[in-house]
Amino acid sequence: MKFLKYTFALLACAIITACSSDDDNNQAEDLTGQTGVITLKYDNGVGDQDFIFGTSYNKSNSESFKLDNLKYMISNVRFTDSNGNIFEYPTEDNVFIINELDGNNAGEIFVTLEGVDAADYVSVTFGVGIDQDRFALGAAGQGTFLDYATDQGMMWSWASGYKFIRLDGTFSTSTVSNQPLNIHMGSVGTALDNYKEVTLSFPNTVLVRADKSPEVHIKADIAKVFDGATSVNFADGYDQVHTDVNETPIIASNIATMFEVHHVHND
Amino acid sequence: MNVLQNFKYLILGIILFSLAKAEAHNPVNPCNRHEPFQVLCDLCGCSTSSGSFGFGTLSNANFVGVRYIYQNFESKNGIFENSPISKETFNTIQLWAQIPINDSFYVTTSLPYQDLTRDFNNVKENLNGLGDASVIGWYKHVFYKKKDESVVDFNPNKEPSGHSLQFGLGVKLPTGQFEQRLADNINPGFQVGTGSIDGVFSLGYNYGSDKFGVNTLLSYYLKGENKNDYQFGDQFSYAVNFFTAIPRQKMNIMPFVGLSGDVYDSITQYDETLRDTDGNIVNFSFGSELAIEKFIFGASYTLPVSQSLFGDNVQSKQRLSVYINFAL
Repeated sequence: MKFLKYTFALLACAIITACSSDDDNNQAEDLTGQTGVITLKYDNGVGDQDFIFGTSYNKSNSESFKLDNLKYMISNVRFTDSNGNIFEYPTEDNVFIINELDGNNAGEIFVTLEGVDAADYVSVTFGVGIDQDRFALGAAGQGTFLDYATDQGMMWSWASGYKFIRLDGTFSTSTVSNQPLNIHMGSVGTALDNYKEVTLSFPNTVLVRADKSPEVHIKADIAKVFDGATSVNFADGYDQVHTDVNETPIIASNIATMFEVHHVHND
Repeated sequence: MNVLQNFKYLILGIILFSLAKAEAHNPVNPCNRHEPFQVLCDLCGCSTSSGSFGFGTLSNANFVGVRYIYQNFESKNGIFENSPISKETFNTIQLWAQIPINDSFYVTTSLPYQDLTRDFNNVKENLNGLGDASVIGWYKHVFYKKKDESVVDFNPNKEPSGHSLQFGLGVKLPTGQFEQRLADNINPGFQVGTGSIDGVFSLGYNYGSDKFGVNTLLSYYLKGENKNDYQFGDQFSYAVNFFTAIPRQKMNIMPFVGLSGDVYDSITQYDETLRDTDGNIVNFSFGSELAIEKFIFGASYTLPVSQSLFGDNVQSKQRLSVYINFAL
């Protein structure tokens, strides 16, 4: 009968443990002065396929494209917590180039943000490209980013400004094949404003703490560059998009639709 | 914490040690003595798994033994259709036993050792260690044949009808280590333990005649939350096995076939449900046991019939299990 006693003693323990409520969640944590790290993982794809250089992807109008260069700029990253408070990453460091070449073996490009206020975040907002305020700081006000962007081939000239996205490769249509494809979209100095912001809500709360480093996995669907809010065709001139006042705003609006938070990891 | 851990091992030790001393039961008609010993297999290591890890032994109610389980999985490492696949191989060695208490009560227990390997782009990651131990207490109700009242029966013993019901109540202990960093992998089962105390509720029905038997078992696993505020989803498992006995001069051969399955609820963390962490699987198994005197040698092979695990990102490929039990 001793076995029986042990068994039921264990059972009782298990049931009590399993059923007891977790009271420590009810007490408000004091997060004052606490900071942590958030990692944004950008993962480029085309529809449900992972993006791979040199692979031909179909788009609308029986056209296809193949890329050997894929970069875009992200800036002004900020997070909104469950109380509606906003944490914005320090402006001078808050600009990044997402380069597919920097991807790890799973094709993910990491943006690591340190010193983020501890909070329960529900969404992220970021801009694609460079806003007019940042551009208005002048060449000297860009810090080291100007040289970096130049090295990355993401600048025309100071007057024309930054390229917000850069896609280089070839395209094919029903009548031509393997023709050069170059999408270099920006604000063209101050002539246009193609800077767009996107806000993505998190499928699960992102808990930033001194001892928790959550990861936000952001999926970017490159197909949306051509088939986003508006579908555009290479045959209609969208094979070479540079500074055109009509084409660039359409590409900018399309790009603003390509991001999605696929999932988050709380550590 | 260490004291607590030691206490758990002590209890297990006592149970296992007592096995050795437990009195051997007289073997009776083998088909009437089978029990649905189901191993506690949740997502961990012994993994995405199925309650169908099978009953312990077809022929003997009480035993102590060792079992080896080999399992394969394929998991998608990434969020896309064509994301690269990692291959996972789970090896488990398990001490398991069924210990009698009296005619109506018995206890089943298991203590696994896990050795898990993941191969991704030819980079191997290995994880090994003690898995989660489990103890279940069972009450068995045996149905007896009705007696013909017009006949005077001088035999006072009731005759078993071959039908029986089992009720099990148990616990799975966090003797295996749960690592939060591994939980971020696509296959959350790549862990040696859940880190939680889980409750187990089981209902079994068995029938056995001289030549043919059926074992069925329904189990519900109430998963607890671990110290990382991580909680595996509750699990419902079912299994049906049909077997037959082929007596030979010095041995008894018992082939069997079965269907089993598991339904998993979503994993939660910080009281929020995590996406793509629920699932279900249906398995087909076949195998055989060989009883030679007090030893039972068993082998079974399990293949998934249909599955949808973790948003279809994890695929169970196959499972092989071999065991040697010594009848008590």
